[in-house]
Amino acid sequence: MNNAPHILVIDDEPQILRAMRTILTEKQFKVTTASRGEEGLTLAATNEPDIVILDLGLPDMDGVEVCARLREWTQCPIIILSVRDGERDKVAALDQGADDYLTKPFGIEELLARVRVALRHSTRAQGAQNKVIKAGAIVIDLAWHIVKRGDDEIKLTGTEHKLLAYLAANRGRVLTHQSILTHVWGPADANHTEYLRVYMRQLRKKLEDDPERPQYILTEPGIGYRFIADE
Amino acid sequence: MNSANMRSSSFLSFSRQYLLSIVLIASVTALFFALREALDSTLIALLYLIPLGMITAFWGLGPGIISALITFLTFNYFFIEPYYTFTVHHAADVVILVVFLIVAVVISQLVARAQAGLEAAMAREREATQLYELSTALTGLHDEHAIAQILAKQVHVVAQGEYVELNIVGTDPFAFHLPDIIPLTRLPELILPIEAARGVIGEIRLWRATPAISSNEKRLLQTFASQSALALERAWLAEAESRARVLEESDRLKSVLLSSVSHELRTPLSTIKAASSSLRENEVSWDSPARVELISAIDDEADHLNMLVGNLLDMSRIESGVLNPKREWNILPEILGTVLVRMRHRVGEHQIEVDVPESLPLVPVDYVQMEQVFTNLVSNSVKYAPEKTRICIRAFVEDESIHVQVSNQGPQVPQEHLERIFDKFYRITAADRVTGTGLGLSICKGIIEAHGGRIWAANVPDGLAFNFTLPLIWDGVTSPQLPTDTEIE
Repeated sequence: MNNAPHILVIDDEPQILRAMRTILTEKQFKVTTASRGEEGLTLAATNEPDIVILDLGLPDMDGVEVCARLREWTQCPIIILSVRDGERDKVAALDQGADDYLTKPFGIEELLARVRVALRHSTRAQGAQNKVIKAGAIVIDLAWHIVKRGDDEIKLTGTEHKLLAYLAANRGRVLTHQSILTHVWGPADANHTEYLRVYMRQLRKKLEDDPERPQYILTEPGIGYRFIADE
Repeated sequence: MNSANMRSSSFLSFSRQYLLSIVLIASVTALFFALREALDSTLIALLYLIPLGMITAFWGLGPGIISALITFLTFNYFFIEPYYTFTVHHAADVVILVVFLIVAVVISQLVARAQAGLEAAMAREREATQLYELSTALTGLHDEHAIAQILAKQVHVVAQGEYVELNIVGTDPFAFHLPDIIPLTRLPELILPIEAARGVIGEIRLWRATPAISSNEKRLLQTFASQSALALERAWLAEAESRARVLEESDRLKSVLLSSVSHELRTPLSTIKAASSSLRENEVSWDSPARVELISAIDDEADHLNMLVGNLLDMSRIESGVLNPKREWNILPEILGTVLVRMRHRVGEHQIEVDVPESLPLVPVDYVQMEQVFTNLVSNSVKYAPEKTRICIRAFVEDESIHVQVSNQGPQVPQEHLERIFDKFYRITAADRVTGTGLGLSICKGIIEAHGGRIWAANVPDGLAFNFTLPLIWDGVTSPQLPTDTEIE
């Protein structure tokens, strides 16, 4: 396949690079690796990869900074790799424009799922936005502001609808608390995580079959939420 | 006896003392003159010794000698025949003059010596009292700042200084000064080193322009300095000793940790190694179910290893006090729900019963850390309670805090162990029976306490219950109100 998506992996651990190269090449991706931030930035500029997978703990510079510098000139998807308890760094990188994150150690199926979402999202950004989104029995019509389960319309309040529309438009991607709050309630309420908790719960009660075991609106602990729609 | 008089005499000017002496002699002379016919001249000479002695005793040698001379002249003039002349007829009269002079000198010497002795004794008493006060104040102090404060206060009081400054150069140098004003710009009048066995550990700087600092005061302050040096050294020694004890204790814990950790880490590693090497050696055919089994063993054990490392990190964070919960208003049932979904495979045959009402108010907690608490409590119950038994999780509001209980139908814990099961590496059963780091419950304790809550275990009729409470008030605020959202599409 000539048009294989090109993935740039920036990580300082040789074992991780080796495993990623093996696995991703096996999955028909074109893989370039860098072990330092500066090297990664140079490779990103010369190779113009379709996706960047970036480790936050680099020896020469902060991963959040690499993320910010990439965002100065490219919109290519960035997936952050970080260790557990690095929530603050992850949120910082996501707010700097990273698209998604993975916590080390991660399973390869998780990585591939994230890569697929990121690729789909970047092609979607270029083309027209999908107006009707399906998630299991749920159908969301963004243009007509209608949400249905099967044939039954689900009544949503204005805020609930705004919230769901934002989640659905970014399906598959992780959205930080701050970005959701800023988008739905406005920048002044960006720290009121409690609004989010309460409204997400209401939304789950209306959408999910079992609100305690959500299938569509997933919580990303300490980070934000992710909406899972059909492929 | 006459200390008040003696001291007040020092305030009289010289001339006044002389004047009073002359007045006294004159009045005594007038009295004697009136009685001249009744008294013998020898008796008068003897009586004259009384005012003379008093003058010398009260006012010193100078007025004494002058009074002796005047007395001799008046005595000669008024009481020795021929009267009203200064002519000396008898050698005995010269003797009287000499006696007057000798009496004046001897009494003044005696009085001066007694006075000096008394003053010295009083000064010694004062010093001893001050020193006693200092050493009493310093007794039992183990804090260098408190010691410096006491020393500065005593120096300030005793020396009546305008400004006192202490510089202590210990492991952690600091300065202390009194009174609390802007430091004086001029150089101090006195700088005294505070010397200990290992050298100079600081200095006392005293500002007092008037009166000049006497050598006695300086000596006393030096004694203060050496007393404080002793106290400081004692404090430092005690600190070093307690630090050594802490180190020893943490050393012991570290070796316990190391042995526990290396055992715990090796177990999953052995599984991974065995499984991966047999897959590599092609000992297992590609399509056999054993292959799937081995691969999932590797996967499970890798997760287990990851959890162990996470626990160790949590523990070290709790120990070093950098846990810092990122508190936000959260919905408790949501946190619990996430945990139960994630743990559904580990719960196995246990039945989980949840009684956490929707109506609970929002709780100000760190989402990720509370997940950890629920995970550890549930997995502890899963580990110790027999399969197919019930694990109950309930929560209710009680006195402005939320009370959560995770109970199981596992073995009860003897009363004396209930407190200690939250200690690190504390196990009631033998280590080989149950896997884990022995850190789960102590991590829960660390997290709950960092949230300002309390956690404890209690035996219930059919098993064991973990309880914890969390305050519902955060920074003086209760659960927040939400903006209204009535507009329906």
